[in-house]
Amino acid sequence: MTSRLLAGVTALEACEVWAGPMAGSILGDLGAQVVKVESYPRSSMTRPLGVAAGAQGSVISDDDGPPYELSGIHHLANRNKRNVAIDIRSESGSEAMRRLIASCDLFFEGYSAGTMERLGFGWDEVHALNPRAVMISMPGWGVEGPYRGYVTLGSGLDAGAAHVSVRGNPTRDTGFVQPIFHSDATGALTVVLAAIAGLRRRDETGEGCFIDMSQIEALTWQLPGVFAEWTMNQRRPERLGNADPHIVPHGCYRAAGGDTWVTIAAEDDRQWAGLASLIGHAQWADSSDPHSGIVGRLRAREEIDAAIAAFAARAPAEEVAEQVQAAGAIAAPVVSAPGMLASPQLQSREWFETVSHRYAGEKILGGFLWSVEGDEPSWDLPCGLVGEYNHDVLGELGFSADEIAALQRDGAIGDRYEVAAPPSS
Amino acid sequence: MTQPFAGVRVVEVGGTAAAAAATKTLSDFGAEVIKVEPLDGGAMRRLPPFIDDRPTLNGGGFHLALDTGKRSLALDVTTASGRQVVAALATDCDLLVQELPPDDAEAQLAALPDDGASTVTISPHGLDGPFRDRNENDMSAFAWTTRMHRHSIEGEEPQRYAPQVATMQVGATATAAGAAAIWHRQQHDTRSTIEVSAVEAMAGNVDSFFAIWTFSGMDLPRPAGPSKMAYPAGNYECGDGYVLFAAQGEPFFSRLCAGIGHPEMLEDSRFMDPAQRPLNWDLFMEYLDPWLKARTRLEVFTQLQDHGVMVAPVLEAPDVITDPQAVARGSFVDVEQAGGGTTTIAGPPFRLADAWEAGPAPRFGEHTAEVLDALGYSRDEQIALFRAGVTA
Repeated sequence: MTSRLLAGVTALEACEVWAGPMAGSILGDLGAQVVKVESYPRSSMTRPLGVAAGAQGSVISDDDGPPYELSGIHHLANRNKRNVAIDIRSESGSEAMRRLIASCDLFFEGYSAGTMERLGFGWDEVHALNPRAVMISMPGWGVEGPYRGYVTLGSGLDAGAAHVSVRGNPTRDTGFVQPIFHSDATGALTVVLAAIAGLRRRDETGEGCFIDMSQIEALTWQLPGVFAEWTMNQRRPERLGNADPHIVPHGCYRAAGGDTWVTIAAEDDRQWAGLASLIGHAQWADSSDPHSGIVGRLRAREEIDAAIAAFAARAPAEEVAEQVQAAGAIAAPVVSAPGMLASPQLQSREWFETVSHRYAGEKILGGFLWSVEGDEPSWDLPCGLVGEYNHDVLGELGFSADEIAALQRDGAIGDRYEVAAPPSS
Repeated sequence: MTQPFAGVRVVEVGGTAAAAAATKTLSDFGAEVIKVEPLDGGAMRRLPPFIDDRPTLNGGGFHLALDTGKRSLALDVTTASGRQVVAALATDCDLLVQELPPDDAEAQLAALPDDGASTVTISPHGLDGPFRDRNENDMSAFAWTTRMHRHSIEGEEPQRYAPQVATMQVGATATAAGAAAIWHRQQHDTRSTIEVSAVEAMAGNVDSFFAIWTFSGMDLPRPAGPSKMAYPAGNYECGDGYVLFAAQGEPFFSRLCAGIGHPEMLEDSRFMDPAQRPLNWDLFMEYLDPWLKARTRLEVFTQLQDHGVMVAPVLEAPDVITDPQAVARGSFVDVEQAGGGTTTIAGPPFRLADAWEAGPAPRFGEHTAEVLDALGYSRDEQIALFRAGVTA
C-alpha cells in the first residue's frame, strides 16, 4: 500500500517526456489517485516506435514486445498512475476527456501554451466543466508572455536560466557543455507544491483555481548564487568547474584504473588535518605550517591539488573515497549507473526497487525520493501499457462496455501505436 | 482570499542551504516560518556572494534570497536546553524541517512531542546505513548519482553542476514532502515523520538516467563531445553567443530545415534517411552555420520557435533578468530589506493569484526575544538561556 499523505486526491495528468510525468509519479507515490491521459494515436517522445527513435536516443531493452513499452526513459517517469490512451481531438474522445476533468481535483498539463485551449480544454472550459478543479499549466516559459507557445525540453530551460553559462569544464568553450535535464527534476517537484497550494486555495474559497507554472521560473529561484553575483556586484558569474574559490582542496581527481574519478574536499581545518595526514603530508596540518590554515591553502592551491592528484591516482575511486572519508574529509567516487547500484549505502537501505512489467520483465529501478515512517511510498503500479486502464477508468466514468468498444472501434481510444518498419539495411 | 499556506506554522532547524530552500517557498506562499539558527549563523548565511564582497551574516546572496519573510531565532540545538526550545516551538506547529548531523537530528526527534509537528529530516545519506555519518557536500551528491559522470567529456574531468544546485534540489524535495505532510495533517490530524536523504533525492529523480542502464544493459559512454550523430543537440555558436538545440528528432528536424530556409533538405536522403544522417553532420553545418552566425541568440530563438523548433538561447545571468519574457512576467522582484537596501531575487516558481510575496530576510537572531516571549519564556528564563550560551 502506498503512502497515504495525499490519499483522496484525484489527479489527471496530460503531460509528456519527464517533468510532468515525474510529477504524476510523485503524486502517485504520495497516495493520490493519478490518471494519465496519453497522447493517441501519436506516441510521446519517450515511447519510441522503432529501435533508433526518440529525440534523446531512447535506449530500449531487448525484451520481446512493442518498442514503445520497453523504453527506460519512459518507465522511469511513469509509475503509480493509471494510463488511458485517448484521441482527445475526436468527438467521443473529447467527451471522455470532459468526464475525466469533471471528476478530478487536479488537472495538470505540460503542453506548449495555447495547446489545451485549441483542444477545448483551456482553463475557461475546465472551470465550466468542474468548478472545483485546480488546473496547472506548465509550459517551459509559462502561459503568458511573449514566448507563449514556445516548445522546449529541460535542456533548453537550463540554457535560458543561465545554468549552461556557469557549469562545465572552464577550459572548454560553451559548445562542449553537455545538455542536462535538471529542470525536469525541479519542475516535477514544483508541480507537487503547486498542486497542494491550489488545493488549499480551493478548500478556502470553495472554488477551483488556475496556476501558470513556468518551468524556467521554477528553476531560476534555485540558482540564487548565480543571479546574486550580478544583482549584488554587477559581475558576470564565471564557469568554475569543480573548483571553489574559497575552499582548497575542492575538486575531482583521476583515480587508478583509467577513466575513473573521485571528488575530494576538505572544507575546514579539522577535515584538512585528517586528509593531510592521509596523503602523506602530516606536516601540512601543523599549526606552524601555512597549509594548516585556509588562507595558506588558498595560496597553495596548485601544490595541494597536485599532492591530492598523486594520492588519488594510487587506488580505485571507491577505495580512495573510503580512505578520505575514514580520515574525516569529504570524498565520493564519480559513478555511473552500475556504481550507483553497487553503493553500499543504497544497498543497505534497500533503496532500489525491482519492478515487474508485462513486457520489460523484472527490472531494477531507482527508489523513492523520501521515506515516511510507517507510511512508505511503494511501487504499486509499474509503468502502464498504452491504454492499459482504458476500460477501468472509462467504466468508472459511466461509459458502458458497449460504449467503450465503440470508442475503440472508432479509434477514439487505443491500446497500441503503429510501429515504424525497421530501417532498410 | 489568503495566501495558500497562510495559517501554517513551520520551524526550520540547522542553518543549512537545503533547509532554507525547503522552507523558502512555503514562507513566500504564506506560511509563518521560524528559522532556528546555530550560534555561528550557520553554513547558509556564509555562502557567497556577498554585497561588495564583504562577508557578513546578513549580506549573503543565498540568505537574502532563501530566507524571505522568515523570522530568526539564534539557538544552540546541540544542547538539551536548545532542543527543549525547539520542542516547544514544534508543539504548536505543522511542520519541522531540520538538517543536522544524524546524532543531533535523532536527539531532536526524540525530544519532540508526540502530537506536535510533522517532521522532515534532511541528511546526506539518511539516518542509517554504513554512510550515515559521512560528511558530504554539494559535489559529492552529483558524484554518487550518475550526473557528474554524464556531465563530462570522455577522458576529461567530470563536472558538477553550478555550486549548490544539488543542495537546492534536495531542499525542493523536502518542500514537496513537507507540503504533503502539511496537507495530510490538516485532513487527518496525523503527523508524519519523513526522511530525505540527499543522495536518494537526487538518485531517485528523473534525470539520474539510471533506468537507461537497467533497461538496455548499456552503461552509456561519456560523450566524446557535441554529438555529430544525432543532431542538432547541444550548444551551437551564433552571432552573439550560443543557442541550445534539441531538434535532432522529428518533427523538429524537419521544422528546422524549413525554418532556416532550406526546405529542399527535406527531400535530401543524406538528411532524411536515418542511416545516412549520422554521416552528414559537416554537410548539415554548411546549411546551419551561416544562418546562425548571421543572427543573435534571441533572433535564432524567436525565428525558429515560430517554426516550432526546440531551441533556446544560452543566456548569462544579466541576460536572464532583462530577457523579454522575464520582464513581461516580472520574473525577478525587488525586496526591500529591513535594514535598508533593496535585493533583486527570482520571483515565484508558479503563479497563483494573490499567493506569493517575498518579505525581507531577517537579520541573524533578529527575532530571538520575540519568539521566546511568544513561547512564554520569562525574562529570567531567557537570561538563563543566554548565560548558558544557548541563545545569542
